[in-house]
Amino acid sequence: MVHDNASVTNPTTSLGDAHIEVKDLVVQYGQVTAVRGVSFAVRLGEQLTLLGPSGCGKTTTLRAIAGLEPPTSGEIVIGGVPVFSSAKRINVSAERRGLSMVFQSYAIWPHMTVFDNVAYGLRVRRLGARDIADKVRWALEMVQMGDFAQRSASKLSGGQQQRVALARAFVFSPSVLLFDEPLSNLDAKLRAEMRIELRELQHRVGITSVYVTHDLEEALAISDRIVVMRDGVIEQVGTPFEIYNFPRDAFVADFVGSANLIRGRHRPECGRDGLIALETPGGTLVYGTTHGRPVGADGVFSVRTIHLGLSREAPAAQANLWSVRIRRRVFQGDLTQYHVDWEDRQLVVRCTATDPLDEGEQAYLTVDPHRCVLLEAERTTA
Amino acid sequence: MLTAVKRRMTQSSLSRIGAVLTVTLAVLALWALGAQAGARAPVKVLDFMTGADVAKAEQEGEVVYYGHDSEAGISTLLDAFKKDFPKIKTGYVRLQTGALYAKLTSERSANRFLADVVQFSEVSPAIDLQKKGGYEQYVSPEAAAYKPEYQSTPAGSFTWAGVTFAGISYNKGRVKGEQIPKVWQDILNPAFKDAISVKFSSSGSQHVNWYMLRKLYGDGFWKEFAKQKPRGFDSRAQLFDRLSKGDDAVCGMAEYAGYVLVKEKGADIELVAPPDGLTATPIVLGILTKAPHPEAAKLFIDWALSARGQAVYQGAKILLYGSVRADAPPMATGKRLSDFKLLFPSDWSDFVESHGMFVKEWNAIMGL
Amino acid sequence: MTRFRWFWSLLVGQRVVSLLVGGLAAVLVLYPIFYLIQAALNVGDPQARPPQEYGLANFGGLFQYPTILWNTVVVAVLATLLAVTFGFVMAWILSRTDVPGRAVFEQLMAMPYYVTPLMGALAWSFLGAPRSGFINQIWRAFGGAEYLIDINTSYGIAWVMALFEGSVAFVMIGAVMKSMDPSLEEASQVLGAGKVRTMLRVTLPLVIPGVLGATIFVFAEMLGSFSAALVLGLPARFYVITTAMYQMLAQYPPRFPLAAAMGVSLFAVMFAMLFLYRRIVTAGSYATITGKAFRPRPMHVGKLRWILFGICAVYLFVAAILPILTVAFASLQKLAVGRPTWQSWTLDNYVTALSLDAVRSALWNSLLLGLGTATIGVLFMGLLSWIIYRSRIPGRGVIEYIVMFPQAVPRLVFAFGMLWAWLSFPFSIYGTLWLLLIAYLTVFLPLGVRTISSVLLQIDKSLEESAQMCGASWGYRLRSVTLPLLRPGVIAAWLLLFVASVRELGASILLTGPNAKAITPAIVEAWFSISTELTAAMALIQTLAVAVALALLFTFARRASQYGGE
Repeated sequence: MVHDNASVTNPTTSLGDAHIEVKDLVVQYGQVTAVRGVSFAVRLGEQLTLLGPSGCGKTTTLRAIAGLEPPTSGEIVIGGVPVFSSAKRINVSAERRGLSMVFQSYAIWPHMTVFDNVAYGLRVRRLGARDIADKVRWALEMVQMGDFAQRSASKLSGGQQQRVALARAFVFSPSVLLFDEPLSNLDAKLRAEMRIELRELQHRVGITSVYVTHDLEEALAISDRIVVMRDGVIEQVGTPFEIYNFPRDAFVADFVGSANLIRGRHRPECGRDGLIALETPGGTLVYGTTHGRPVGADGVFSVRTIHLGLSREAPAAQANLWSVRIRRRVFQGDLTQYHVDWEDRQLVVRCTATDPLDEGEQAYLTVDPHRCVLLEAERTTA
Repeated sequence: MLTAVKRRMTQSSLSRIGAVLTVTLAVLALWALGAQAGARAPVKVLDFMTGADVAKAEQEGEVVYYGHDSEAGISTLLDAFKKDFPKIKTGYVRLQTGALYAKLTSERSANRFLADVVQFSEVSPAIDLQKKGGYEQYVSPEAAAYKPEYQSTPAGSFTWAGVTFAGISYNKGRVKGEQIPKVWQDILNPAFKDAISVKFSSSGSQHVNWYMLRKLYGDGFWKEFAKQKPRGFDSRAQLFDRLSKGDDAVCGMAEYAGYVLVKEKGADIELVAPPDGLTATPIVLGILTKAPHPEAAKLFIDWALSARGQAVYQGAKILLYGSVRADAPPMATGKRLSDFKLLFPSDWSDFVESHGMFVKEWNAIMGL
Repeated sequence: MTRFRWFWSLLVGQRVVSLLVGGLAAVLVLYPIFYLIQAALNVGDPQARPPQEYGLANFGGLFQYPTILWNTVVVAVLATLLAVTFGFVMAWILSRTDVPGRAVFEQLMAMPYYVTPLMGALAWSFLGAPRSGFINQIWRAFGGAEYLIDINTSYGIAWVMALFEGSVAFVMIGAVMKSMDPSLEEASQVLGAGKVRTMLRVTLPLVIPGVLGATIFVFAEMLGSFSAALVLGLPARFYVITTAMYQMLAQYPPRFPLAAAMGVSLFAVMFAMLFLYRRIVTAGSYATITGKAFRPRPMHVGKLRWILFGICAVYLFVAAILPILTVAFASLQKLAVGRPTWQSWTLDNYVTALSLDAVRSALWNSLLLGLGTATIGVLFMGLLSWIIYRSRIPGRGVIEYIVMFPQAVPRLVFAFGMLWAWLSFPFSIYGTLWLLLIAYLTVFLPLGVRTISSVLLQIDKSLEESAQMCGASWGYRLRSVTLPLLRPGVIAAWLLLFVASVRELGASILLTGPNAKAITPAIVEAWFSISTELTAAMALIQTLAVAVALALLFTFARRASQYGGE
């Protein structure tokens, strides 16, 4: 697709260079600082997701990029052109940044037809009637709403509105698409479907996207890279694989999937095969991987609940093998969740339901040391 | 070379300028003289004489009248004028005399001149206005029919367009036997406490009433009257409306004209003419300076003072003002002013000076 | 972009338009206030322009009239208590119980507002005058002594004001009741508390801030009431501050300084009240207003239903229908009495009224002014609403205060300031309809802005933001998204402004001129200077004219929206 819109941002950067740069962004509302110094870059054609719990500042950051929220300080550069700079007193208004956005509430205009909704951005850009008709048809086909063009927009279901909002957003071929939790108002099944569609669409059209969500599965499914945020700062940036498998700290570990945190004293003499050993207060040695992170006197392993294995008999030759008692069992359909007594605490294990273990039973718990990831040293929160 | 041309030019232009100036000055002088000379020669229009340029008046197309009568009364008057001169529209402002003068002075002090003619129901504001030079000096040809005592001094500011006079009136259902008032002092009867009505301090006829009764019966008269806790109203229509319905028992300043109008509708009331006389006030009409429609204003005054206009003042039941014109016929009721014992102030300047005191005392009586 | 386009976009740019509109509002509101305060502080020659000496002596004059101050407070307190009671009861019945016909009643509750206090005062004067009132005549016919009710007292005035203001209180309290989360009450009932206990312990405390706010608001309005006190109070020597001011201005020499001092004092008290009101409303720590639209579960009242239905019907009858019937009854008689004979019926009053040029031109002027005020008003106030509640323009908080300012000033007092202000204005608008137009636009700012912004705030911000993200400029967004969505609010505001300006009295009565008469002051003038029956005819003509105009406009608006597409 050739991007030929007459917007402020003309991507002249080559693939791999940053399309969007956010530097030291600070956004304050009165007494509250929602974003406290956030910096990241989005590459051309990449889908970056801002992930975090409510109140972490991800939506505020997105809206700052959009131009709907005036930041307090920092810099935002899109396509090499600064659209906001507190130092140089630049603030390009939202309508002239050449971006596009899909809102959480869809924001479909009820007093127009579907066609008019989608055509809006084209009409603003004063395209000819024929051009507009062509592009709108193309966009609606892409979201499988081609038959709905003349329908009044107030008579659409949630999912349909979502698609129209999407079509409206990319019909004028913007260089960047911003998504503000677009799927959170849909039911679970529809959400799962739309997720995949969105991903395919983004690849097909090749737009740089910044996506905001609090839903972990969504973020993992659709992103090229994820930025995990908490309390206005960035916790970790990485690919979904990295973030999931190698969380940096306890927060990320527990937010992105469920994890058990095992703290222990480092026993450098017990390390082998590139693994290190942490000794728990109860004296058990737990083997795990550092993933290149420095280890101090103490350390914390993050062990995903899904990576722990339970069995009645002890499997052979396991580095991490412990005897545990089943405390509670919760059937959850695809998986069964077990709470087991270990040391003087409980661990949570999730596994498939073949041959369920009973409460009170003795069992053996194993975990691959490569699945026990050392967290980075704890950061003092500002 | 250039300077020579310039000199020649300046010389000829100077003489040219001089000529223009002289002509202009002459024209101005003639115009001023013409204005000084006053009105044009009177012409007859319809059946009266007017000093106005009727064609010009019709071109002006409108006359704005500030008056104290009720809306219906003013409408009657102005409609009659419009019938005679259909090309001249009429506009008006109706306020009781005090309020009317207040509005007029506010406007004029801010250089807003909207009114052409003004009619007051007593002479105090008229004399005040005259002192301030607010009246256009115009002696109507019709003023010849009015004795000098019925005009301003000197003539030309305002003229008496009629007279209204008042006695006591009572509701026959509420006031019977012994209580029926016969003399002015009867309005002090404690039986009428909370049941007697008069007009507000803005009323001209009320001022005269106050002044004359004070002169006749002393300062204490009105102090006694204050104990009656009288109710105040803006117009005679309201006074008689309430009297006829029985909302009030007695009206302490009941105008003959108001009485006649309501009696015809079948009201159960009676008018008493005390033997000492009926307090009377002239209604005075004059043209204002800087009137937006000066010729129409003159035409109106001439019309109003003529027999034709006076017939309306005297004949329309809603107006019913007695005329002081020398050759006036009786009023619509068949009576003339001379049939009544009328009490006018003898010393007009004393009367005018008393206005301030009247307003203060009357407001206090009214609870303001 | 060409230079012209750039200049044009600058001109219609958000900042410039906001500056112009906001500046205009500021001038309209503050210019008269300045003159008012100046007049109040003038201790020298009242006619001098500008004043020569300044001082506070005039305010001392207030204390010479303690009765007037006392009367004002008494009437305001009584009227407020009554109005809030009416409003509360009606709001309760119509939004919390299952009385039949609720929807219809709610619509009808607007009727007393359209009847206006003047009509009510005229009607109740006919009904309740101690001697000539119809009710008292019937009372005496049945052997009663003297009279049953005397409408020319503080109670009478408060009663008439309350009937009218009750519908305002109803709207405010009803809004609070509707926005209450029913689950708060359901929780109480689930835990075992009965209906009555729930009402006393849960509902009432939650509603109290809203009711308190409405009470303060109504009290502020009652302090500045004029028409009822004028018609009913004057005949009984009963003055409140507004009618006293009116009297003081209607004499020679006019007592400007004292009137101005009274006006400023009244304004100061009302301003304080409204300030308090805003604190209560915006503080709202009782989080009942959550922004979600709740449908409160109506209480089943069983047999009480018909009694409550009766209460609603009686209120509407007494507040809206009875005045109109009474005035009509009086207007058709020569001399209005309670039990007319065959001879006393006549159509003369209507004939006279319609033949009076004053009535015809005044009615025409008022309808014209209504059209003008409403049309210009919605544009002006629509822009102001947007600037205050949707833009990021710095200083919009100040504009909000300025726009709500006129609420704190009684119309008569405002008109007094305007008189002085616009009298000295270099362009001659004094005495013309333009002055009335400007006056109406000024005093109706709170009404228009409130109506439009209540709809504006319901439009989700994201609808405008998404237009922004599609590249639309401010003006384009306003035209293509905001205005169409705002239409119901704009229409409602238009109709409100139209009716309000045709019915306006307090400001108009001071500002009319020879060629700029308005109908409501004309009706009051008629009351004071012609027969009451004629006045009744004029009042009814005015009501009918407004009703006809509204009906025409309604069908016009409906037809326009049909063709305009959904």
